[in-house]
Amino acid sequence: MKPLLSFLKKEYLEVARTGKLIILMLLFVLFGMMNPAIAKLTPWMMEMLSDAMAESGLLVTNIQVDAMTSWTQFFKNIPMALIAYVLIFSDIFTKEYKSGTLLLVLTKGLPRYKIVLAKTVLLLSAWTFGYGLCFAITYGYNAYFWDNDIAQNLFFSIAIWWLFGVWVICLIIMFSSLLQNNTEVILCAGGTVLLSYLWGVIPKAKAYSPAVLMDAGSLLIGAEGTGAYIKAVVVATALCIVCVAVSIPVINKKQL
Amino acid sequence: MDVLTIQNLKKKFGSKEVLCGLDLSVPEHSIFGFIGKNGAGKTTTMKAILGFLRSDSGEIHVMGEKVHFGQTGTNRYIGYLPDVPEFYSYMTPTEYLTLCGEVCGMNKADIAARSKELLDLVGLGQECRRIKGFSRGMKQRLGIAQALLNRPKLLICDEPTSALDPAGRKEILDILLAARQQTTVLFSTHILSDVERICTEAAFLHNGKIAMQGTIAQLRNKRASDGFIIETEKKGAADTLIKAFGDLKRTEQTVLVFHGGEDRFFSIMQYVAENRMSIQRMERIEPTLESLFLEVTT
Repeated sequence: MKPLLSFLKKEYLEVARTGKLIILMLLFVLFGMMNPAIAKLTPWMMEMLSDAMAESGLLVTNIQVDAMTSWTQFFKNIPMALIAYVLIFSDIFTKEYKSGTLLLVLTKGLPRYKIVLAKTVLLLSAWTFGYGLCFAITYGYNAYFWDNDIAQNLFFSIAIWWLFGVWVICLIIMFSSLLQNNTEVILCAGGTVLLSYLWGVIPKAKAYSPAVLMDAGSLLIGAEGTGAYIKAVVVATALCIVCVAVSIPVINKKQL
Repeated sequence: MDVLTIQNLKKKFGSKEVLCGLDLSVPEHSIFGFIGKNGAGKTTTMKAILGFLRSDSGEIHVMGEKVHFGQTGTNRYIGYLPDVPEFYSYMTPTEYLTLCGEVCGMNKADIAARSKELLDLVGLGQECRRIKGFSRGMKQRLGIAQALLNRPKLLICDEPTSALDPAGRKEILDILLAARQQTTVLFSTHILSDVERICTEAAFLHNGKIAMQGTIAQLRNKRASDGFIIETEKKGAADTLIKAFGDLKRTEQTVLVFHGGEDRFFSIMQYVAENRMSIQRMERIEPTLESLFLEVTT
């Protein structure tokens, strides 16, 4: 247990000292503030554009914004935050393969699976922290300006999007154990997400695709119940476990 | 007792056979020089000892325990210094040694005491900066400190002096010499003066096999003499000698070299005396590791 904890401590020290923590916090705080800000500014922007739009025959009437506008923005923007997160952390394994920093700790007798576990814990906690921060900020502003009760199944929608992020992170972990270079890791993880979209196109199989977890819009307005997402939640959770479980034997036999 | 034994180790990269049946044994408390040309397979052998490389066949034992690829159980006996050691650059030397100590299960007080002792030994005791700003020599010294941290039975150094200036090289060699009290040192190199300075034993790696192994004295004795040099005063005398003794080789206008036994030497001396030839010098070529190395590897 002690080697795992000390390696984990090293991981946290790394994010703190290499500036990744600051970038991560700024990123998620910015995204958290952007959602209510865009909602708040929409009527004003529309007013500014109304003259131009009137010329092309569009009539701008009174625009009503509420917490729902802000939550819709949240689910529109969070994929960008996830992409930025992936770009920041995609080299978490490959950088160590390239520089050879793992060699020395491995010669000290650190079991290889503990490297996978420590990095998994770091990635999941950083994602949970950043995502939670973004959510809390949006939630706070929304409660201040409007009323959050208007959004139905809010916490469930938030939770399944978080799970989608966890799945993407587990893909990063698995591809990092298989590949040497972070560009390949990003491409393969991105490709897998794309495949899950295509999977969602098949009507009968759609409910099982992890990509469904990103579709929180119909949950918020109450058009869909939480039950419609259970299959995708189960599949995504199982895939996460499989990804980490596959990484361990692969790393154990990796030539360093 | 042998700390390390390697039997019939083979490794291919694609179609290139880097190691083809390497046998090696390293006795306890020796400083073992592992000599070979660039690309001879020294690093490959070391990585196989550490379990970082899958060998095609053969067995490696460290302290009598078999090394398995990917599993680092035997590494608890080993301290390793790679040719270019890479550290987590955002840490200070003490933080790095603490991480290493915790990973190998040392207790807190021992880590603190041992880190201080080793950092003083390698001359980094006063260094509080992060590793980011370290020179290559400083990193090499920190590498030795981390390698010795858990009191390994075997210290493996991969070309520890190759990239250093003469002062840095001397420091590293002195540290390795001091480390001999506590451990066995296996170090690869192609700098033969380093081997002559500190090693008790050495092995030459050539064509994927050990071409020669033994103590430094044994290696030198493999060839009692490398031959003789005869330098004549005039070119004409050298010409006469070459005509009389076909096995003489000319290296310069007036310099002749021959490889052969004492009898031959005496008959040349006799010929010189009888013909009253004027000779500048006649001397025995002392066998050096360099000449051995060249003989083995060419």
